[in-house]
Amino acid sequence: MLAEQIANGVVVGGLYALVALGFTLVFGLLDKLNFAHGEVVTLAGFVALVAVQLGASVWLAIPIVIVVTGLSGLLIELLSFRAFTSKEGHSVSALSSFALGIVILEVVRLEYGAAPLNLAIPTTIYTSGISILGAPIPWVKLATLGISVVLMIGLHVVVGHTRLGRQIRAVGEAPTSAMLLGIHVTRVIQYVFVVASALAGISGLLIAMQGGFVSSEVGFTFALKGIAIMAIGGMGDLRGAVLAGLLIGIAEGIAIHYGLGGFSDVLVWLVMIAVLLIRPEGLLGGGRREVRA
Amino acid sequence: MIANLLSTENIVFTGVNILLAWSVYLTLMTGTLSFAMAAFMGIGAYVSGILTAKFGWPLVPAALVGTLACLAGGILVGFPALRVRGLYLMLVTTGVTLVVKVAIENIEYVGGVGGMGGLRGTTPELVLASVVVIGGALWLLSRTPLQRIMDAAREDENVAASLGINIVFIRVAGFAAGAALAGYAGALYGHYIIFIAPEQFDILYSVFIALYVVLGGVNNLWGPVLGAVVITMLPEVVREFGVMSSGFRSARQLIFAGALVLLLLVRPAGILAFRRLSIRAGRGRVPVGST
Repeated sequence: MLAEQIANGVVVGGLYALVALGFTLVFGLLDKLNFAHGEVVTLAGFVALVAVQLGASVWLAIPIVIVVTGLSGLLIELLSFRAFTSKEGHSVSALSSFALGIVILEVVRLEYGAAPLNLAIPTTIYTSGISILGAPIPWVKLATLGISVVLMIGLHVVVGHTRLGRQIRAVGEAPTSAMLLGIHVTRVIQYVFVVASALAGISGLLIAMQGGFVSSEVGFTFALKGIAIMAIGGMGDLRGAVLAGLLIGIAEGIAIHYGLGGFSDVLVWLVMIAVLLIRPEGLLGGGRREVRA
Repeated sequence: MIANLLSTENIVFTGVNILLAWSVYLTLMTGTLSFAMAAFMGIGAYVSGILTAKFGWPLVPAALVGTLACLAGGILVGFPALRVRGLYLMLVTTGVTLVVKVAIENIEYVGGVGGMGGLRGTTPELVLASVVVIGGALWLLSRTPLQRIMDAAREDENVAASLGINIVFIRVAGFAAGAALAGYAGALYGHYIIFIAPEQFDILYSVFIALYVVLGGVNNLWGPVLGAVVITMLPEVVREFGVMSSGFRSARQLIFAGALVLLLLVRPAGILAFRRLSIRAGRGRVPVGST
């Protein structure tokens, strides 16, 4: 039924938004495209799997995942972004991070294979819940939506209204000037990568909890959509990513309801191409970047 | 053992990958890094495949029609898409690859997701001849003023535009030429593997082609050749000489990707950076960008 598909769309949209937020932080604010982001989403599920297998409870697994994925952000920055400062650096680091993503993915696959694995979590979180307009909403989906909204608001406040946020924006606009003004540019960039990767970690965890299994496929799927949603929402605006994520999620839900499931996968990319060509700064973007020449 | 490496399959795949690497190189010469090559490869393979498998055309004219279709497609996509630059263009061309794949999946006439069979006719001789002819054409191009116009358009388009160079035309031409070459390579590829399906023309293939070029370097047209040959043949060489024979197949992507990350770290100044054009200056020509 349509209400259920729309409710599902909102939840999936929240997940898209969460993944897109990580891209927006790195791309919108720092002008760097981190293709390895999606594989951090994958990594998160498997870190949770290992933690649970080693005897940790689900609640203990959550901080472990956040710490490990946050640290992976440091590694990604060091290997794929730090060194590339030339004119072509943006493209080179995008390709390098893509290769790094493949490394992460293949390590996971060598160890755990390509098939999805069960994650031992209490099944009640996705079998029981509340009902809105006759559409059943499990707890995990409610939590997913809540966490996405809270993180979005929190990040928006941090980036827009704190000292660190000002430093991040300064580094994004003009790294050299920021450095001359006494900002530790590398440190600020590291902060952004850690936060973005931890976001990917949280997304990966929530994705795994939707169905109680981890899979090495999810990262790539969600990353492709997350990138497109980031571009649709507006490069520098965190609210735009969330808005676009929800809109795309709902649109996909409606598409699935009317039997256009195969089409729903490229819907987001068609919208992105249209948005980039008609309004390159994105739905809510400030339009300060040189998208066009 | 060396003879085994020169099997038909290795020659065809290496040749096709060289052509694909050149298609990225050709586009890159006008300052565009495109991830749409797999899409054009797919269009080339499908258009020529329909002509040979359903209408009984011989391969070469069918492949040329596929090439022309991609040239037209390149102009059609390039004209609006090239309004955006750099990473944004990377995103748009990624979108093109994904959209074309799903579009083919939904065309029942060519078999949809299931794919289309009955494509035959690519011989190693044809592939080798194609590589020689296209390589020769690219080499001739590098000796003409057109190459210097492309260099100028890439390095500083404001200066180039002030010298009367039509930047939009050059960039769209570079993009469309790359698309056409990818389409031709796709036609050869499709008619060697007999059966083509949309999943073969995936975004990952696009990225790998770009990585061939990054690995080999873009100083001249031999860099992409080197990258394509090394990446295509390395697994075969390793298998042939029995090093890590069992585990290697599965770890192949891992080793390739890891090596690439490290290689880029060793040459951080940007393997995508073009030559500084001083070689020409030594022959009495004024180097582009030196003014």
